[in-house]
Amino acid sequence: MTTISAPAGSGKTSLLRAWADRPGQPHRVAIVHVRRDEQDAQLFWLAVLGAVRQAPGTIGGADPPTATPEFNGPAMTDRVLSEFADQPDRVILVIDDLHELNSPDALAELTRLLTNLPGNVHAVLATRRDLPLRLQQLRLSGELAEIRAADLRFSERETRDLLEASGITLSPAALALLHRRTEGWAAGLRLAAISLAHHPDPERFVEEFSGSDRTVAEYLMAEMLERQPEEVQQLLLRTSLPDRVNGELADLLTGRPGSERILLALEDANAFVISLDPERAWFRYHHLFADLLRLELRRALPEEVPVLHRRAAEWFIQHDQVVDAIRHAQAAGDWPGAARLLADNSFSLTLDGQLQTVDALLRAFPRGAGGDYPELALVHAVVDLFVRGRLDEAAAHLAVAATCAEAAPPDRQRRLRVAVASLKLSLARRRGHFAGVAEQAKFLASPVTGESHEDIALGSDLRAVALLSLGTVEAWFLALPGAERHLREGAVLAREIGRPYLEVACLAQLGFASMAGPFATTRRRCHEAIALADRYGWGTDPVVAPALLTLAGNLVLTGEFDEAERWLQRTEQALQTDTGPDIRLPVHIVTGLLHAGRRRHREALEEFSAAEHLQSQLEGSHALASQVTGWMLATQARGGQLGEARASLVALDDERASSGEIGVARAVICLAEGNPATALAAVQNVLDGTAPVVGYVTVVEAQLLAGLAHRELGDQRAANQAAERALGLAESDHLILPFVLTGSAELLEAVPRHETAHAALLADILDVVHGSSLAAKDHAPSAPTEELSPTELRVLRYLPTNLSRVEIARELSVSVNTVNTHVRSIYAKLQARDRSSAVQRARELRLLSAGRMR
Amino acid sequence: MDSAPARYAIRIRGHLGEAVLSAFPALVPQHLGADTVLTGALDRSALYGVLAEVEALGLELVEMNQINPQPESPESGDSRPR
Repeated sequence: MTTISAPAGSGKTSLLRAWADRPGQPHRVAIVHVRRDEQDAQLFWLAVLGAVRQAPGTIGGADPPTATPEFNGPAMTDRVLSEFADQPDRVILVIDDLHELNSPDALAELTRLLTNLPGNVHAVLATRRDLPLRLQQLRLSGELAEIRAADLRFSERETRDLLEASGITLSPAALALLHRRTEGWAAGLRLAAISLAHHPDPERFVEEFSGSDRTVAEYLMAEMLERQPEEVQQLLLRTSLPDRVNGELADLLTGRPGSERILLALEDANAFVISLDPERAWFRYHHLFADLLRLELRRALPEEVPVLHRRAAEWFIQHDQVVDAIRHAQAAGDWPGAARLLADNSFSLTLDGQLQTVDALLRAFPRGAGGDYPELALVHAVVDLFVRGRLDEAAAHLAVAATCAEAAPPDRQRRLRVAVASLKLSLARRRGHFAGVAEQAKFLASPVTGESHEDIALGSDLRAVALLSLGTVEAWFLALPGAERHLREGAVLAREIGRPYLEVACLAQLGFASMAGPFATTRRRCHEAIALADRYGWGTDPVVAPALLTLAGNLVLTGEFDEAERWLQRTEQALQTDTGPDIRLPVHIVTGLLHAGRRRHREALEEFSAAEHLQSQLEGSHALASQVTGWMLATQARGGQLGEARASLVALDDERASSGEIGVARAVICLAEGNPATALAAVQNVLDGTAPVVGYVTVVEAQLLAGLAHRELGDQRAANQAAERALGLAESDHLILPFVLTGSAELLEAVPRHETAHAALLADILDVVHGSSLAAKDHAPSAPTEELSPTELRVLRYLPTNLSRVEIARELSVSVNTVNTHVRSIYAKLQARDRSSAVQRARELRLLSAGRMR
Repeated sequence: MDSAPARYAIRIRGHLGEAVLSAFPALVPQHLGADTVLTGALDRSALYGVLAEVEALGLELVEMNQINPQPESPESGDSRPR
């Protein structure tokens, strides 16, 4: 790693460019220029990611559509690291103007990136001041090279070479004078060279310069400007405000043609103008140069400043670069105009995943501007709804926004109405308001019509939002075929209209909507949604949270607790600021199940209670409502809170009380009260199929509770039959959690080994019941296998049997911990996730054949 | 954290011209030999704002002092010899 730390104008950027452009460069160079005063960690990381991928045309509107409403630094760093890992060749990552990065989070993450760079990556950082990057370790291990101001300072000899390259020859005395006056400062020498190039009397120029008390930069800048033709002076001053210009924009700002030619000539003359793209269409000024030009503009033409900002804003609007347009409108002090622009575009920016920018632009308005510019109500609604999940606030703002839309002039009315309609749909979706969404989505029955491109585009946006909303609430109410159809249609439409963010949203909800199907299908869909989100850098964004969470929940059901916990953590990352009840509620459910699976009753109860509490914030009762209540009651009973459980049970309304899930909870309470006969009666209508159930998980729970009740009543035969039926239901999905929740270890252990058709599943269940999480299954089955040790082979021999780990330990006269260690090692070496797959793999490798037995 | 403004004198190499001085509207400039001294009352964030401008404009900072410190009240910290 290399850092270049030196003040403005020391020649850092020039050095980097000259070095990166040198011929015969054997490496790939990824260059990132940090934007002025970059406070947006997301934009910084997107720029890094873009540079690493070498996305072409990273200028302005061509930014890759990867901005996201909520953004997650750690995930982004990991993303960049994995991009590096995918690069076969050596890569040099150059980050210039790093001092402009004013985000502590981004700096902290950058430190992590730098200290974890793979061997094929060399990072070069250029900054005006030393940054709080904690790189001591790299320094100590000799992996950090530092270039500082003294190294960049031109020597007298280098000064002469530089001037000679511009065709300037000075006497040794004048050269020494110039060198002393500028102290070898690169920017000073370059400015001097520009003025000297066509100077009639270079010696006198140097003499006057060294006789002056003015600061080097200011003196030389004034000299340089004065020597330029008038049109060049005007161009430099009038184009200094935007962060970047092209010929057309510069023509507009100067009020005359020919700017592109001048910009090209300035870059060729090495005059602090830098082209930003290979086509040399866009330019920016060296930051120091731009700062000095802006000051000169404000001094010389103060009345022009707002005019120029306004013109820039108009140009950016015409070229669909809305964000720049709004920034210039704000800088011009045109608050009404900026408010109008932001209101008109906030929803479209949202659909492109640029919520963080919307939020930042909103905050740039003067305090209290909301009252002055009621149009901003729409923007507030967007931020409250999608960033913070504050549904009541969003609703209040939305009501104001709806009134504004109706009062808007006809040319804006349509898009404002569409934005309001989309937000209403999204609000109803987030509230779980089935009837509200269905009512508002009625227009889906008629095709998109419109007189203009804009009309049709708006219609399509609204349609996609409606499909997403409808499919989502349908899934919440278990109207699954409709949910699947609408979400699929939504995803297809989103792709057609170039809204990948909406496509990810639809696919993520589709993962959730398929939770009632075979687990393999659910997981595949979740992985598909996550993969698409990953591709756009949205891997830990709220948009993909439903898929992350569904996957976590599914892994809890199959007893893969550690893996589930990892996905749950990623879900939490994605939902950092989002407090919306629609997503928080299922997060509590899955977290509660994970705790329950690990027999942490108190923690589980907290989560289920939180979920139960959030139900009141949603409209109507959703599909999982009885499940949440049932699990909460059962957890209360298992945690010994029998009185509370009974009281909650009594308080339920009839419809809820007659659900299969509550029947199961009642059975748990009865068993805990020592009343197996009543428990049996409580699950009877689940077993005979007359009680409505959310899914077959409830039936498995009911079978097991029946088995436990039979056992206590002394009917071992009926108990075994119930256990066998539960195993039969659980077999195809490898469902394990209900066995753990109901505490069915003894019930299963009592099943005679030869009587069950589900020996491998039974063994896996007992493993989980005895406290080990099944390992993750993501592995390459064909990978070479590490040799098993003799002790591991001895343990392996017992895996195809029904013996639990405790029993294996007894057989081998070792402790359970020892067995656990061996089993973990066996799973790792065989790349198996559970007992059945270990056995299968061992058979494939012939590790279980007699010859290998010792 | 001390948030009350204090008076600072910021000495910069060279004479600053009108344009560059416009970047420091809150400070009064004065030439001192070949240097410029900028004086004014600044709270913390204003002070760091000024330093950032000095850096951004490539100016050479020679020295920086807090001037006219508040006379110490007798109650706060008695440093006289006993």
